[in-house]
Amino acid sequence: MQASKKVGAVIVVGGGISGIQASLDLADSGFKVYLLEKSPSIGGVMAQLDKTFPTGDCSICILSPKLVDVGTHPNIELITNADLTEVSGNAGDFRVKILKKPRYVDEEKCTGCGDCVSACPYINLPDEFDMALRSRGNIFIPFLQAVPRVVMVDREHCVKCGNCQVICDAGAIDLYQKPEEIEIHVGAIIVACGFDSFDPSGIKEYGYGRYKNVITALEYERLVCASGPTGGHLDRPSDKKTPNSIAFIQCVGSRDVNHNPYCSSVCCTYAVKEAIMTKEHDPAIDVNIFYMDMRTHGKGFEEYYNRAKEEYGVRFTRCRPSSVEEIDSRKMLIKYENEDGKLMGDEFDLVVLSVGLKPPKEVKELSEKLGIDLNRYGFCSTSEYSPVETSKQGIYVCGAFASPKDIPESVAQASGAASKASSLLSSERGTLVVEKSYPPEKDVVGEDPRVGVFICNCGVNIGGVVDIPEVVEYAKSLLNVAYVEEDTYTCSRDAQDRIKGAIEEHDLNRVVVASCTPRTHEPLFRSTIREAGLNPYLFEMANIRDQCSWVHLHEKAEATEKTKDLIKMIVAKARLLEPLERIFVEVTHSGLVIGGGIAGMTVALELANQGYEVHLIEKEKELGGNLRRLYYSLSGVSPREHVNKLIDAVTKNSKIHVYTGTNIVDVGGYVGNFIVKIDQDGDEKDLASGVIVIATGGVEYKPEEYLYSEDDRVLTQLELEEKLANNELNAKTIVMIQCVGSRNEERPYCSRVCCYDAIKNALKIKEKSPDANVYVLYRDIRTPGFTEDYYRKARDEGILFLRYDEKEKPEVTLDDGILKVLVVDRTLGREFLIKPDLLVLSAAVLSHPGNKELSEMLKVPLREDGFFLEAHVKLRPIDFSNDGIFLCGLAHSPKSIDETLSQASAAASRAVKILSKDRVEAEGAVISVDEILCRGCGRCEEVCEYNALELKEIEPGRLVAQVKKVLCKGCGTCSVACPSGAITLKHFTDKQIIAMIDAMAGIF
Amino acid sequence: MSLENIVNETKAYYCLECGKCTGSCPISRVNKGYSPRLTVEKALLGFDKELLADGGIWSCMTCNLCKDRCPSNVDYTKFIRYARAEALKTGYTGNCTHGGVLSSLMRIMGNPNLKQDRLGWVSDNLKISEKGDILYFTGCLPYFETLFKDIGVNSLDIARSTVKILNRIGIKPVVMPDERCCGHDLFWTGDLENFEKIAKLNVGLIRGTGAKKVIFSCPECYRTFKQDYSEYVDMDFELVHISEFLAEKIDEGKIDFGSLEEDVTYQDPCRLGRHLGVYDPPRKVISSIQGIGLIEMEHSRERSICCGTSTWTNCDRFSEQIQKERLKEAKAAADTLITACPKCQIHLSCAMKSKTPIDEVKIKDFSVLVASAMGLGDDP
Amino acid sequence: MDPKIVAFCCNWCSYAGADLAGVSRMQYPPNVRIIKVMCSGRVEPSFILRAFEVGIDGVLITGCHIGDCHYVSGNLRAEDRVKMAKELMKTLGLEEQRLRLEWISASEGEKFASVIKEFVEDLKSVGPNPLGKGEASCP
Repeated sequence: MQASKKVGAVIVVGGGISGIQASLDLADSGFKVYLLEKSPSIGGVMAQLDKTFPTGDCSICILSPKLVDVGTHPNIELITNADLTEVSGNAGDFRVKILKKPRYVDEEKCTGCGDCVSACPYINLPDEFDMALRSRGNIFIPFLQAVPRVVMVDREHCVKCGNCQVICDAGAIDLYQKPEEIEIHVGAIIVACGFDSFDPSGIKEYGYGRYKNVITALEYERLVCASGPTGGHLDRPSDKKTPNSIAFIQCVGSRDVNHNPYCSSVCCTYAVKEAIMTKEHDPAIDVNIFYMDMRTHGKGFEEYYNRAKEEYGVRFTRCRPSSVEEIDSRKMLIKYENEDGKLMGDEFDLVVLSVGLKPPKEVKELSEKLGIDLNRYGFCSTSEYSPVETSKQGIYVCGAFASPKDIPESVAQASGAASKASSLLSSERGTLVVEKSYPPEKDVVGEDPRVGVFICNCGVNIGGVVDIPEVVEYAKSLLNVAYVEEDTYTCSRDAQDRIKGAIEEHDLNRVVVASCTPRTHEPLFRSTIREAGLNPYLFEMANIRDQCSWVHLHEKAEATEKTKDLIKMIVAKARLLEPLERIFVEVTHSGLVIGGGIAGMTVALELANQGYEVHLIEKEKELGGNLRRLYYSLSGVSPREHVNKLIDAVTKNSKIHVYTGTNIVDVGGYVGNFIVKIDQDGDEKDLASGVIVIATGGVEYKPEEYLYSEDDRVLTQLELEEKLANNELNAKTIVMIQCVGSRNEERPYCSRVCCYDAIKNALKIKEKSPDANVYVLYRDIRTPGFTEDYYRKARDEGILFLRYDEKEKPEVTLDDGILKVLVVDRTLGREFLIKPDLLVLSAAVLSHPGNKELSEMLKVPLREDGFFLEAHVKLRPIDFSNDGIFLCGLAHSPKSIDETLSQASAAASRAVKILSKDRVEAEGAVISVDEILCRGCGRCEEVCEYNALELKEIEPGRLVAQVKKVLCKGCGTCSVACPSGAITLKHFTDKQIIAMIDAMAGIF
Repeated sequence: MSLENIVNETKAYYCLECGKCTGSCPISRVNKGYSPRLTVEKALLGFDKELLADGGIWSCMTCNLCKDRCPSNVDYTKFIRYARAEALKTGYTGNCTHGGVLSSLMRIMGNPNLKQDRLGWVSDNLKISEKGDILYFTGCLPYFETLFKDIGVNSLDIARSTVKILNRIGIKPVVMPDERCCGHDLFWTGDLENFEKIAKLNVGLIRGTGAKKVIFSCPECYRTFKQDYSEYVDMDFELVHISEFLAEKIDEGKIDFGSLEEDVTYQDPCRLGRHLGVYDPPRKVISSIQGIGLIEMEHSRERSICCGTSTWTNCDRFSEQIQKERLKEAKAAADTLITACPKCQIHLSCAMKSKTPIDEVKIKDFSVLVASAMGLGDDP
Repeated sequence: MDPKIVAFCCNWCSYAGADLAGVSRMQYPPNVRIIKVMCSGRVEPSFILRAFEVGIDGVLITGCHIGDCHYVSGNLRAEDRVKMAKELMKTLGLEEQRLRLEWISASEGEKFASVIKEFVEDLKSVGPNPLGKGEASCP
């Protein structure tokens, strides 16, 4: 492939959270992105969720800013309601044909006001977003935060009455719109088409579709959502009554060879979440989760599960119910065999099926068009060591389509896929992106304020309630108001021209728009006034629609008064607005990676492949980390071999500077400009880097139990693996004990890899000596996703799995030189004595002991268990609150090889977002410190979560708070903490806010 | 008042430009950009606008050190006060500390409709009356308690101690449930409109109790009543600071001190010392406590340095430096610093919370010390 | 329009929640005026006192739910400051019901509307701000 033929653009197929993340990463690092979504809005399943685990964050709250980012990004072209029809070409140079289905609305003209929605007579269609739990109109906006926020006409039921066309002042309705085929030219393709929920109506014994009170988990999610069909009231479908008892049935459609044999990975934790949400709703509701193995293996999930049990009193029953029946059309009867082998029948008011994930239905056709292979279950085919690469070069995959996974893993994988595309196209970075150019800014400092006020009718949305002509006259009377204009739609294109004209004609130096919400429209108006030569911060918005006319539809006089107040308040602030400068900091175009294991080396290689210098720091004398001790993997490829290949590639890469036997002594600087002092065998040296990636890895727990280190027949899994590899295994009966050092009081978390390792090594033993007896003593077997196949295989090979209870741990004794393991098998409820030749302990994965010191130097937080704490567990799994520092691999939490690799690529992607720029830009509305007023007390430093403030001794004995504006997020908490008033948060100054309060009270 | 009038009123035209004021000024010592002499000079030469816009006029602590030393008797303190009132009218203010919450509180105090609930601190063991001869004016202590407990200052201890002391000598003082802030800081920041409202409200309230004598534990309240209210309202009651009152009682043999083995030093609050000339009574009371050693700081009495900031404005790096030096002096004298002003206690305690290395001393209020010496110590 | 309420809404959760109430056409009394701040942690106790000083009857501060703060811990700071303001208000003899702190997420349009309804009712029973329309001479 010749570099000149590559195209600096990427198409992302699928607008769920994975596709969104991949698009933002790529668009922010110099590529043009086309985001293709089959439905009318981006957002995917995450938009439908009420809360997210394990923090209980409101799902749409955290997603919505990302939707807006995508919608307003200058380098992302959103193509919704469209399908991919044809792909030709090769990696670096694809041609993609897309069919845009008619929306019957001109997206450019539609303002999303919703007038047509209420004008349309046909209103009885199932609302897809709300899982058909309520109905929607023939014309609809998929959900409140939809992006693009334009309506969609469902032509199938259209009676062509024309009401919508009449009411639409914007003239946006086009009932004769035709499908449109477009062709785009891209260098890479990222497939992020997500998953479909398993349809449980095929499992007749659970009665879904037959009984109203058997619903799926996603339906339940809408049912408890404050913006859902019941307004967040937990009403069961049959009689709208709040249930007193709810049962969750796990593994519906998963871990079942009759349906999907794989594990869907997310259902256990989402059921725990929904159970907790239920209890938070009403603690009196009895919640019982019926499960086989509780698979809460993600970061913080085990603790979440424990809280559900202990704090919330959620019941957990280990079994797979045999049937669900309705009695008296009121109660649902669940029949099951309990752990003691007794047949039970419990009654519940509502049954929620924790349905699994399956490949989206259109994926077969799509994969054929793309020319990529699917695995045996119809998900995208990938390998353990290249988790985001499809079978075709230049096409990458992420999210649930690669394998069932949760949101943070999807987000990480999306960034990982973006990194791969970015590597492939790095020569074309920046070739297709646009940067808007503006005229020079007028200097308005010192001028008397001249405020222009533009008041929007929003069709009839505002004007139908508020007396706009009266408001216009009122606005004219306000101090410093130089011009007032009334518009039908202030957001329309011609209105933008009028605003620019008025700035010119009336010499305006402040602009106020009174219309809808700044959350969606401020960027547009800021850009408009910037085009007219005004600093964008000389703009303010009065929200007279969403927060006035729409909520006071029947109180017209009061709404008019309120509108006047809101405009008066905003004008009072506007006259005090100051032009602000966005801050730019130069970026050192190199990265520094801490840790030379598989994660660190992968990051280093990806950064180097994208053209950046990398410093790779490793404490040990050699690169390679833990994987040097791993000889086998279930997929068949030896981790050791993979690591050796990586070491070879790293050492041969001229852009990567490896420092082994090296410690980090000190870290200074900030995003774009870190200075890291290292100590290599006593030689100290400063390294400059634009970003820092933490990939410190973890260590294996040295057990203090089960006679480990007392008897040499007791080994850890890593030690066993070494023996196996050296063919030193000489044992007939082998016992493995799971969860040694994990899931206990001291370390509540699940070490995640031990079930995999135990099964892997057990199978290896069976392969080497088929007549060996292998017993695995476990608490829950956790083989998420497709690794479930190996668990089944292990059972198939005759490996025995005995479940023990946390409270009845196996007893290991030494009796006359004979090793004895006594375990109470929970299934039979009987004691079981094994005399093994070898006892293998699945020891916990511990955080790296050096993390604490490192966290203090980098000023990034650690969890209690010593793993690093990311910026946001859900949507920013790779980032820290401190810009420019990233994490991946075991530094984050225990995880498998493929996940580590996804995260490592993701870290590279996040890093490239910064490294690809010559300067990083920060928000202009940040704080400033008056150095005379600053007393150096340090209270600001204490409250700042971003290390944006630091006390510096600027002369002997005198400390002053110094702001790193580029790190400041503009929350203003420090300005309140500052006792002397030395800190001002620009754009939200005390004076501006007090002026608004005074204006409201009628005092100037 | 125009600048010209201010010059006349304060006799600033006598200024010989000798610079003794600037040489004495604790602010000028640390802030080279601040000079009382040049400020006066600006007024004399008619640079009115520049002077009013100059933040420097808000930095002055109005501590009277320059005024006392001026060979031409220029009342610089008054000059600053008038200039601030003028600046305020023009739209200039100082930099409010604590987000301006204290100014807001003071203005609210001027509202006649206010019905406070400020006696929450009066526990059962404290005896107070509604009417009587002797009234204890508590000042802003209940508000300071809320605002400054996070820096370890419990201002209400002063009020509790004062009442306990008075109770011990047989007095059940009147404590008013709706007493207003004295308005000191409004007066000194030029908000005379609200100050006048407050002065009238307070005097009216005191009259209503029939009090003949008003005791103050706060030197600012004391000075404000004594020197500034008279311009606005007539008073027919005697005013006295707790230290003066107690010094008298010692003479009358009405106070029994236990012993307190402690070396202390004493901070002269500017309002009590230079403004009102009360230097001896607090010293007399402290020295009467058996076992106590009163060690003077290098700068004391007339030469005393004040606590670094005033009127909740412009509490800046220079204030911090003054406080740092003052604490150093205190530390050199003794481990415990006694002050008779709640604001000195707040300002110096706040300085010790700083991350800048600073000498740490124990700061105790005068009344709290006296109460503990009288064995009225720690019960609430 | 009495009682008069000023509401400080954080940009990320509660302001969005207030928008959602509008988008969903949930009706609530027209007594409230919203001032947008980036974080509830930006609200100074002095803003609260200022509002009462100038005669506003109720102050509502809304932020992201605990744990959800866009700026990690700003809402916790807001909680501390509201506590302090309430203490000052108590001493001033201002009814503590006049100051209200609520966590409202972006999806809780209904909660926003119901909080306003409740607050208006509460304030009606508490009565008008005793300070009346104050006069403020210091900016």
